Formats: sequence, structure tokens, C-alpha cells
Amino acid sequence: MISELLTRIRFLVFRKKRSEFDEELRFHLEQSIAAKVAEGLPAAEARRQSMVEFGGVESARDECERQRPGWWLGTVAQDVRYALRGIRAHRWFSAAIIVTLALGIGLNTMVFTLVNAVLYKPVPVPGGDRLVSIQNRLASRGDTGIPVSYPDFEDFRAQTTQFEWFEATQDEGVVLSENGNPPHEYHVAYATAGLFGMVQTKALLGRPFAPADDHAGAPPVVVLSYKVWRDRYAGLQSVIGHQVRVNGQPATVIGVMPEGFSFPSGVELWMPLVPTPDLAKRDNRQLRIYAIRKPGVTLRQANVELNGIAARLASQFSADKDLGVSVLTFQQRFNGGSIRTAFLLMLAAVGFVLLIACADVANMMLSRSLVRQREMSIRTALGATRWRLIRQLLIESVLLSTAGGVLGVGLAESGVHWFDFSTQTIRPSWIEFTMDFTVFGYFAALCILCGLLFGIAPALRSSKLDVASVLKDGAHSAGRRRGGWLSACLVVFQFALTLVLLTGAGIFVRALLTSLSINPFIPSTQVTTARVQLPATRYKDDDSRERFFDELLPRLRELPGVSSAGIASDPPGLGTVGQQIELEHAPIANPAQRPWISFVAQTPGYLETIHLPLLQGRDFNDTDGSAHHEAAMVTRDAAAHLWPGQNPMGKRFRTFDDKNKASDWITVVGITADLVQEIQENDPKPLFFVPYRQKKWDNMALVVESSGDPLQSMRKAVQSLDPELPIIDPFRLNDAIEHQTWFLRVFGRIFTGFALIAMMMASVGIYAVIAHATSSRTQEIGVRLALGATMRNILLLVMKRGLWQIGVGLAVGLAAAFPFTRAMKSLPFGIAGSDPTVFVVVAVALALVGMFACWLPARRAAGLDPVKAIRYE
Amino acid sequence: MPTSTDLLQGTLDLLILQTLSLEPMHGWGVAQRIQAVSKDALQIGQGSLYPALYRLEYKGWVKAEWGNSENNRRAKFYRLTDAGRRQLESELETWDRLSAAIGLVLGRTVEVSR
Repeated sequence: MISELLTRIRFLVFRKKRSEFDEELRFHLEQSIAAKVAEGLPAAEARRQSMVEFGGVESARDECERQRPGWWLGTVAQDVRYALRGIRAHRWFSAAIIVTLALGIGLNTMVFTLVNAVLYKPVPVPGGDRLVSIQNRLASRGDTGIPVSYPDFEDFRAQTTQFEWFEATQDEGVVLSENGNPPHEYHVAYATAGLFGMVQTKALLGRPFAPADDHAGAPPVVVLSYKVWRDRYAGLQSVIGHQVRVNGQPATVIGVMPEGFSFPSGVELWMPLVPTPDLAKRDNRQLRIYAIRKPGVTLRQANVELNGIAARLASQFSADKDLGVSVLTFQQRFNGGSIRTAFLLMLAAVGFVLLIACADVANMMLSRSLVRQREMSIRTALGATRWRLIRQLLIESVLLSTAGGVLGVGLAESGVHWFDFSTQTIRPSWIEFTMDFTVFGYFAALCILCGLLFGIAPALRSSKLDVASVLKDGAHSAGRRRGGWLSACLVVFQFALTLVLLTGAGIFVRALLTSLSINPFIPSTQVTTARVQLPATRYKDDDSRERFFDELLPRLRELPGVSSAGIASDPPGLGTVGQQIELEHAPIANPAQRPWISFVAQTPGYLETIHLPLLQGRDFNDTDGSAHHEAAMVTRDAAAHLWPGQNPMGKRFRTFDDKNKASDWITVVGITADLVQEIQENDPKPLFFVPYRQKKWDNMALVVESSGDPLQSMRKAVQSLDPELPIIDPFRLNDAIEHQTWFLRVFGRIFTGFALIAMMMASVGIYAVIAHATSSRTQEIGVRLALGATMRNILLLVMKRGLWQIGVGLAVGLAAAFPFTRAMKSLPFGIAGSDPTVFVVVAVALALVGMFACWLPARRAAGLDPVKAIRYE
Repeated sequence: MPTSTDLLQGTLDLLILQTLSLEPMHGWGVAQRIQAVSKDALQIGQGSLYPALYRLEYKGWVKAEWGNSENNRRAKFYRLTDAGRRQLESELETWDRLSAAIGLVLGRTVEVSR
């Protein structure tokens, strides 16, 4: 056994000498001749017969050589060398194929990685594939995200059998303060004690919650996130045991969580969820439940069980009437709706890029293989077997694909990193964008297969061709018809898909441009905003809140460098409050049909701060909004909408709160220019302004126009009135607006990138086809030139076919783009949907680029020297 | 070339091994011996003889050595190795089983030679 193996290995390494075989054959022949001579034949005849009997010496030698184990390895090396030479010789062609493959593979891998992370991949904690989010569901409203009340949570937890862990959190913003450190607002999760155990995370310092921490009457404790510990406490170990105030109430720091931990999402502080009399009410719905299913329990089983419990609760308590339960994965819960649409659109777009890439590879391989028919015929004529030809082509394709694949991995990696970086601030912290190599494998296989299919199938067909006729006539006539038809279809297909992509990108870019040019009168780089939230514990009534802002406003105006200041419910472009109204003398019986408006509550002087021109009437004064002085200003748009053809000055209306209670009549005292207050709204409601005094809210935005950075002094001004009060969400207005449009910027960039890549590929595709078709007609063109054809004639002749393909492609693409843009319209990000100018612009741009790609080979053809062209082969 | 009875796939190897089991021989000798023993029924074409010999050598069942022929001419002699002998035995066994089975199916009694 072993000696057999050794023999084989020896022969694998050492070859026999050729001469050995020759000598053996010579001996054989001599013996044969000698035997025939002995039978009485003349020497010459004996020799002849022996030779005939023996047959082909070369083929016998070949056959013997082929018995050697691993004999084919040598020919593979030969084929690889040959393929490399071919790749180098056609370096533009090779580069185009490699880049196309890299883009096709790389982009698809990147997007699939992202989509997988956003829509499917389990949350990266132990048991993450069994982790679910549980909330109440109201079937009649189709609402699956209603928070759960504390007593309901306790009942679920006591009765369920399908879960290993069953925990709840209540998310809130709280102010953390202590002596010697400015107060700061943080995102706190009041959580049941098992939360950390559920996701199997230990504290970095100190301890997480103990089971007794969430019992009523337990001493209040707080666990810090790594970020708070590092930023606020400079990473000091001595923070454990430190006394702090949370919303003014004392608490003890007991632990610090490891870096990057912010479960469920974006949490900065954790405190135990201690039941209070308020929480014990069944109609006080504040909690979100997170649970880990027992192994083997499906989402459906969990849903069925919890809905059963909910049905019992609904029949028992009137507060739970009609309420069901929805058990969803994190992706289903938090990444549904428009996020899902956006990512699926991205998936569709990148799918188009893949199709275009495949078509491109196919087209290039196809035109190349037609050119190679002659080469193949020569090789066949020289005795290459079919298998040898196929293997040679395979090796070439594999080499090109490998190069493309390697480049593709790099592309995908950097793309995923870029996206990870761009979405750092807004994505939920449980989403991890990491490269997915399985996905990469699939796409690499797909693109390579495509190359093989189109590179080898035509070559195979050609290897069957009559060798003599190809050698005689050249490759040009053979197989042109069919290849030409196929590649024309591929070009049409590419242009159609590219147009769809370009339209999508165009709509994004247009929306982005629109969002950048809103409210041009506001000097947004000089406007700073920050919010203040007056805690209900210290500001119990309307008067105390009104007094606070009344005292704050003059102090803001006196800050150094501040030219103007105001206080408003929402800074420009950053949202509104909605309410139903009724106009005087136009009563509407059905409350559901009353018109909705948006409004901003503001102090006098706010209009100046944001430079919004007052067109008619007056700004608010200090008495507006107090009892019997209800007033409002409207924008020109709102006036035209609600009082068409009339002057709204002095007109009256009233508003309704959510309990359908009417306010006093409110008089319009001024008309302002138009203001975009809701960037992400496709169809904004009429915008009104009302005096702050009319609302007396506890959460307002300070808006300051200043030459320098006023944040420090703004904070000082606030804390000179209330040292426990932090300022929240400080922003330059331009940064805040940019933050609002991150979606447009990120996705706009992605779509534009995809579309440009697609356009490039489509152009390369049509160029390859036309160039190939032209070069196969060189002789014909030469004849035409010699017979007096003008440059124009030749240009037309060559470009006609390309123009046809572009035209058909654009028509098909336009038809396909409409449904695509309709899908985009459902994104609530201020995307206007199908806009004719976008269609026209992208169609014209694509047509021009395509025509240029056709023109290049046409110009070359028209510039040919007829004498050379006729001799061209 | 007179058509020989088509040899079953792999049978040629068996015939060569059997022939070589008597004494080391050169290629010509192997062909002659098979032809003679089979009373001219089996004529081995050179085109398949030498590849087969090479194959057996590569598998380590025969070993080739240069020696002198009966008329003192340098020739390549093939000798059965120990591995080759074992291979021959197992192939003969298979052959017996196979031919007996085929004989049964065809309704002929075959005299088993060994």
C-alpha cells in the first residue's frame, strides 16, 4: 500500500525521458520486422507491414504520457500562462471586466450586509435570536406599538411559560446633577432588575442591579453607561458609591457598564423600575417589554400565549378592553415602515446594478468570444481537444473573476465602514454593520457564473464551427447575427435599468437641494438653539413657567455678542404642533372634518431672531395671549388656504384640544412671509404662530442670533435662574437642519453613486458593442469611403444601431421608472415623488452619455484611411 | 490490422499481469505470448499495449528494467512487483466470480480453471 503510494508520488515528480519510449518502440518494431522476415517476407515489405500494424507513433507516445499521474498539471500551468498573456494583451478589456465585476460583487455584498443587519440579523447579545420586543396592540387602529401598563406586565410575567427572561423598561429623559458638576440631561431606562442578566452583561465597575433593587422602598440606585462615566466622571473608579441627584432626587451610583453597551438602545443611565402608586394604574401605559424566548419557542407560539393572557385581562379590566399583544423581533419593531422601504429600495437599486454589471460582463465576453473564433479554430486545427479549449477559457474567466472579487471585497468592506460611520449618530445601537462573507460568496459566484456563461457558451458554439470556413473568411461573418441580436438586447436592458436608477437618484438629489434651500432668509449659521425642560416637580403651575421664561428672555438678550433672542416651541425647520381649528362663521358639525393646522408658540421678538418678514399687521406684544387677548399670526400660505380671497386680518378662529374642548376665539393680528417648519413633510399643514402666554408649556427652545458661540453664556443665564436646570440639544441651526436631512444625504449619495456606476457600465457596454460591430465592418466602411461616402454618412451608419438601442432602452426605462418613483413617494422624507423635470433631465443626460459612447467608435471609423481599411482583416 | 476480440475494460491489465507473472518480459514478448496462448484470438495492438504497461508501472504493479534480449539487443523488461502479484490475485478472483456469474446467466457451465 505504502510502496504503491510512494511509486505514484515518485512518478508525479520525476518524468520518464522521451528517449526511453523511443528506444522501446524501436525495439518493438525491429522485433516485428524480424518476425515477418523470418516468415519469408522481403525486408522492405516486412518493414512496411510492421509500420502499418503499429499505427501512429505520436498518438501512442501521447497516450503513454497521459498515463502518468498528474500529467495534466503541466498543461494547466501552460493555460494559466497563456491566459495571463491574454489578459495583459487586452488590458483595457480586462480592466473593464475586472472593475465591472468588482462593482457588481462589491456593491451587492455591501447592500446585502446592510439590509441583513437592519432587517434580519439577530441583535448581537447572547440569545439575540430569541430576543423579542413585546407591546400592546390595538387591532382596530392597526397600532402594534402601544406601551404596556405595570400591572399588565406583572400579570404577563406571572402567567407566561414560554420565556426565559421577561423584563420591562420605561424610557425617559432625566436631569443628572450633583455639587460641582453642571446639570445635564440623559436618556434613562427605568428597568426591572433582570435586564442586565437577560442580555448576560456584567458591570465594568461595581455591580448591576440586584433582585431587590426594583422592590418598592428600595434605596434609589443608578448604573452609568461607559460614555457618561468617561465624559462626566473622567473615568474615575471612585464614582462607585457617589451620591448624585436625578431630577432633584438623591440616588447612589452602583455600577458602570462596559463600553458600547446601551441596551435596549441609546440608554445612558439605568435605574430600577420601582413600582409607584402612579405606575400601579392599569391605564397608565409606560413600559416596553423585552423578553427572551425559551429555546424552540417560535414567535407565533409566544404571540398566541401572550394574546391568550391579554384576552383574559381584557375581559377582567375595562382599561384593557380590546387590547392584544404584539411580539416582534427588534427589526420588525424598530425598523419597519419607511426604514424598511428605504432599505428595500436600496436593495432593488443595487439589484439593478448587479443586473447591469452581469449584462456588461456578458456583452464584453460575447464580443470578445466572437473575435476569438479564429483563435479557437486555429487551436482546434492544431489538435486541441474541446475540453482543452473549455478549460483554457475557464482558467481565463477564473483569473479575471478572482481579480474582480478581490477588488469587490475591498469595495464592500469600505462601503460598509462608510455607512457604519455615516449612520453612527442616528442608528439604534443594537445594529452592527459588519461584513458578511457568505453574502460575498453568493455574489461572487453569481457574477463569475455570468461571465462563464457568456464567455464560454459562444466560444463552444464557435469551436463546433467548420474550421475551414472560419479560417478562410475570418471570424466576422460567423455567428454575427445571433451575437449582435443578443448584445443589442443586453444594451437596451442596461439603458432601461440605468434610467430607473438615475430617476431614483434624481428625486433624492432634488429633495436634498430643496431641503438645503429652505428658509433662505434665516442666517442659520449664526442662530443657536437649545431646549429647556422645566421639571413638573419644581414648576407646578402655568404661572411659575410663564414667570421663568419671562425672566429668562431679557437675560438672553443681554448676553455678549447676542443681537437678538426669542423663545419658541420649535426652532425653524425642526417641527411643529398640530391642532384642529374652526373658523368663525363657518361651523363644521363633524369634528373629524375640521381642518388641521400646525403652529409654533413664541415670545415677542422671535420673528426678528429668525429674520422672518412681517407682511401685514404686527408682531405679538407682552399682553397678547393673556386672558381675553388671544392672538395669532398666520403665514401668507396659511391665509390663502383658510381665507381664500379675503384679508385675514382681524378674522377669528378657535382651536380644539384632544378632548375636543374648544378654546376661546383667537384673533389674527399679523401676516408673515412663508416659513418651512416641517422639512420632512411632503404636504405641510397651514402654519400659525401663537403667543407663548397662550400655551405656557414647560418645554421650549431658546433661539439666539449671535456672532460668537453663545452656548456657555446661555447655560449660565438659565442656571442663574435655576442651578439644577440643564440645557438640552444645543445646536447651530444649520447643523440641526442637516441632522434632520441625514436620510436624504446618506441615501441620496448611495443612490447617486449607484446610478452613476450604472451609467458608466451601460456606456462601457454600448461602447464595446458598437466598437466591436464597427471593427467587424472595417472593410465595408473602407469600401464605402472609397466610393465617396462622406464622414456624415459613416457616422450615421455606425451610430444608427446604437441610437436605436438607446432610444428603446430609454422608452422601456421611463415606463419602468414610474412604479419605482411611486414606491419612493411613500418615504416620509420630503420626497416629492414623480417630478417631470427629473425625468426629463435624467433621460437627456443618459441619452447624451450613451450617444457619446457610440460616437467614439463612429468617429474612429469615419476617420479611417480607405486603403488601409479595405486591406484590414 | 486484423480485428481482435474486443477486450473488456480492464481485462488487458489482467492479461498482462498474468503473462508477466511467469517471467519478466519485454513489451514485444508480452504481445506475442498473449497472442500465442490465446491461439491468435487476442492480438494486442501496440497503441494499447504500451499505455497499459506504463499505466501498470505508474501504479507500481510492474517494474521496468533495461536488460539484454535473447538476440543481445538492449530491451526494456517488465517484472511483476509484490504489489502487482497481490493485484493479480485479487483480479483473478474477481474475474472468476464475474465469469461464473455471467455463465450462469447465459445458461452455460463454465469450467473454472483454478
